[in-house]
Amino acid sequence: MDFFAALFIILFSVLIIGGFFYWKIYKLKKDVDKNEEKMRRGMYELAILKELGDRTGYSLNIQNIIDVITGSLRQFIDYSVTSYIFVEPEKIIFKAHLEKSVSREFIDSIKKRMVSSLSAILNKDFSKTHVEEILSGAILTEYMNEPVRSFFNIPLVIAGKVVGILTIADTKTGLYREEEMTILYKITKQASNAVSSLQEVVETEQRKLNAMVASINEGVVMTDKDYKIVVVNPAAKTAVGLSSNEEVSIFDFIEKLGGKFDIKEKLEESVKLDKFLTVDDVLIDDRFFQIFVSPVKSSFGISKDEIMGAVVVFHDITLKKQVEKMREDFTSMMVHELRSPLDNIKKISELLIKKKKAKADLEYLNFVFQDSSRMLELVNDLLDVAKLEAGKFEVNKQPSDIVELIKERANFFKTNAKFSKVALETYFDPNIPKTVDLDPIRMVQVLNNLLSNAIKFTPEKGTVSIQALIHKKGQDIIKESSAAGIKWFLNKEAKNINDKSNCLIVAITDTGIGLSQDKIVQLFSKFKQYRVAIEAGEKKGTGLGLVVVKGIVDAHGGSVGVVSEEGAGSSFYFMLPFNQ
Amino acid sequence: MPTENQYEELISEVIEKQSIILGPDIAILKARNVSELVIDDQGKVTEIKGDKKAALQKIINVYVELSGMIVKNALGSIFEKYPGVEKINL
Repeated sequence: MDFFAALFIILFSVLIIGGFFYWKIYKLKKDVDKNEEKMRRGMYELAILKELGDRTGYSLNIQNIIDVITGSLRQFIDYSVTSYIFVEPEKIIFKAHLEKSVSREFIDSIKKRMVSSLSAILNKDFSKTHVEEILSGAILTEYMNEPVRSFFNIPLVIAGKVVGILTIADTKTGLYREEEMTILYKITKQASNAVSSLQEVVETEQRKLNAMVASINEGVVMTDKDYKIVVVNPAAKTAVGLSSNEEVSIFDFIEKLGGKFDIKEKLEESVKLDKFLTVDDVLIDDRFFQIFVSPVKSSFGISKDEIMGAVVVFHDITLKKQVEKMREDFTSMMVHELRSPLDNIKKISELLIKKKKAKADLEYLNFVFQDSSRMLELVNDLLDVAKLEAGKFEVNKQPSDIVELIKERANFFKTNAKFSKVALETYFDPNIPKTVDLDPIRMVQVLNNLLSNAIKFTPEKGTVSIQALIHKKGQDIIKESSAAGIKWFLNKEAKNINDKSNCLIVAITDTGIGLSQDKIVQLFSKFKQYRVAIEAGEKKGTGLGLVVVKGIVDAHGGSVGVVSEEGAGSSFYFMLPFNQ
Repeated sequence: MPTENQYEELISEVIEKQSIILGPDIAILKARNVSELVIDDQGKVTEIKGDKKAALQKIINVYVELSGMIVKNALGSIFEKYPGVEKINL
């Protein structure tokens, strides 16, 4: 083998090997480029899906999701305009973001293509439907009259239903590669699937909630923050006179409740003030309702405690009211029936006492007289309470000499006080006018009740004082009482009393054991007072007297109260408005 | 009355409708992925190589994969025009 032949073989071999390696490297580079491109697309897909998760969270709003997708497109593909349309009952919303300036014709062209796409998918002509246009980004220009040369549409599907079209368009020809377009279809499909799944979960939960609410006897209306009805049950519709199976809006409720209950105002008040509201005795048609309005708050997640809407509950109290009325009527009737024979027994025993009888008979007759008197008082109290509850209690105001009235009562209770070994005193403010407008008969009843109680609960050697004072608004009650020589427990309440309007204050102050604060709050309540009376043990009484006192003073437009010091005594007082 | 080229015509109509729905670029690019089909630049099928029914099924599958089951609604009316074409899975 000569030298040249050997050199040729070597060179040829080197060439072959070199060519092989070059081909191999070229192929490897191509594979790397391809993988890099694939990875870039994968990274974009992951990035956009992560962004969707971060920015929209568990949003059910497909527009938000599409905004995120279109907002991130620039890093992935080139385009002049991204746009989407959404189908609404009466119109189509067209929203376009101009990345570059385009002409009016360009926008109209993509709009037309999108509407055609929608018509083709839904087999329905949308060409005449009103399109509301929203543009953002770069400005429209007439100087650049480039047509649409590249575009593709992505149908937006939620729960198998086409809701709109997303379109990417550009003025350059053949701009989009199949892989790029496919990845956007894929991302949109994934986002749509996520929304669909979430929507299905929400709808399932809502169906469950609706079924549960539908079975409740109370009427329930739940609204969102915009007072749009989210849940309403048949009982709520029936309560306001709507058909139980018709679709209703908040406006139907506003119309049906007009003048009886301002549902919108109450919903706003409840949401704005974050407050639970109760409205009693609302008469709707021939039924009475107690209506509750409450804000609805989120109980979990980042929106915890955030107000999501409000709920209105219609509680039918018609039957309860009927039963209550029957009970009141029955009590009233029974009391009337009892009063007459008791009055007779009292008068007959009084008459018999006056006729001189044997000492033993007199003793028995006295028992009959005292017991029948007590029973008559009780019956009268019951009758007054029944009248108060029925709203039938009336006072007959006339100019009356309150000082004389008090003196007369003090004189009447003198014997009783002496028997109980309690001193009875009176104190009058010299500013008290000759006459004050009040019902003298009812005022006697008030004084009787307060005085008999004070004497009953004051231990021997104690003092009961009847005090009357004219208070002027803004004046210091401590100074006013001191000037009148009045000593009472009202000074402890000076802060609250000083700003009261001009009034006549009458107080019965005793030097008894006093009352704890928890007992004071129960004093003027019918049922709670009964418990206090029982606890009083030997000092018997129903305690209904104070309920009657409050009713009489309230009917005069005044107020009652107690200020007490445990171990020192109490001042039971009432204030009557005084305008002179 | 079935014609000789009914599959070509039907598939051409499918591509045409998908061009309206999705845009011609993507509709034709995707159709060209079906190896049995020869398609011109306007999206018209000029030839089907091999099993025509299989080619029809493949192109439908391609569009369903891209944009979901809504394709079914959109193509129903086209299939009604070709009663002679053997039913496929939409």
